[in-house]
Amino acid sequence: MATSFKQIEEKLKTEAAKLLESGSVSLVLAYGKGYDEKHPMPYVAKCASDVANIVFNEFCTYNMARYLVRYPRGTKIAVAVKAADSRAVIQLIQEEKVKREDLVILGIPVSGMKNPKTGETIDSKTTCGLYNPVLYDVLLGEEVHGQPVVSPYDVLAGYEAMDKDARWAFWQKEFDRCIRCYACRKACPMCYCDPCFIDQTKPKWGDKSPEPAGNLMYHLTRFHHLAGRCIDCGECSRACPVDIPLYLFHKKVAKECEEMFGQAAGMSIEDKPALVNFRVDDSDKILE
Amino acid sequence: MSFEPKILGIACNWCTYTGADLAGTTRLQYPQNLRVVRVMCSSRINPSFIFRAFQLGADGVLVGGCHPGDCHYNTGNLYARRRLAVTKKILEFSGLEPGRFRVEWISASEGNKFAEVVTEFTEQIKNLGPQTKFKIEQ
Repeated sequence: MATSFKQIEEKLKTEAAKLLESGSVSLVLAYGKGYDEKHPMPYVAKCASDVANIVFNEFCTYNMARYLVRYPRGTKIAVAVKAADSRAVIQLIQEEKVKREDLVILGIPVSGMKNPKTGETIDSKTTCGLYNPVLYDVLLGEEVHGQPVVSPYDVLAGYEAMDKDARWAFWQKEFDRCIRCYACRKACPMCYCDPCFIDQTKPKWGDKSPEPAGNLMYHLTRFHHLAGRCIDCGECSRACPVDIPLYLFHKKVAKECEEMFGQAAGMSIEDKPALVNFRVDDSDKILE
Repeated sequence: MSFEPKILGIACNWCTYTGADLAGTTRLQYPQNLRVVRVMCSSRINPSFIFRAFQLGADGVLVGGCHPGDCHYNTGNLYARRRLAVTKKILEFSGLEPGRFRVEWISASEGNKFAEVVTEFTEQIKNLGPQTKFKIEQ
């Protein structure tokens, strides 16, 4: 039986207090109280007395790896990560945005997280479907043994089988709803460019206000920038106020990258991100 | 009037562009639908160039680079190969006809191949018809 959310919360508090008191980290990235039970918020504990504010329940879906890049290099940080979030940490280490020795990774094995917006259980249909963190220093709770409900790329089958015109119509319908709040970008642990390409004016890649051409440009380029880096946490889709299923496209690109380059994002700190790497014997078939 | 496609060619300075030069100096005939932009290396190509070209009305995009292993900068086209493969998959999944984007390795001595590829690609785009999906209405 998996460790209950309450138990994890207690362990998280103890661990955070220990780390902050000893001074081995200067902040702990975890979850705090929101305006109600269903809406916890990202929380940064900076001293031992902050620890009491930490909460953990089934709605703590946010990917705390997102906040790692906000602190100056060399800051000692402890971060609470769930399964996919730990892959984000690995990916950030691969990209040399953070150093392994600056981090204390508090791994949380989870099952049965719920989407705060819809109340639905989050599973491998929208995320990578892992239960246990890939990399951690301390595991808060027992490892969860279980198989993903479906293989993480199964959900794509229907879309891949679609006729290209139907698929175009489908994505147009989705992207047309985009209001360009950039919540997807803000929620994404891998989106740390400053400035983002869409905020550039020289060259100007697309309009910043919501309109079909700019929406298409923004989303397609964002999928491209996350190719081989997206760790499939599904946070972009949950953050989206108009419910665009961005995870579908990210999954598709991740699947293709895995097939073409033989490596999944964020699985080992020894890897290099697929697109800043090459093999001399990469096949030309990938271009067909 | 028959449909004359607009095709953007992005050619690497050291191989494909020189190959195009060779095709010209040897007076090979190929369709005039290709507009060539010269870049220093195929890895210079930002994938957004390709999305943007389609938005601005290109019916097809042809990228030319050195054969893998022949890159003037040693490894540029090896990075480009991976990157453009992803671009292709993204265009395909978004619903664009996959045949509208093509990557070819053409060396400086392959003027013939350049002419052949351009002829074949232009024919292919003519069969696909005008590209309307990405194009911004103006």
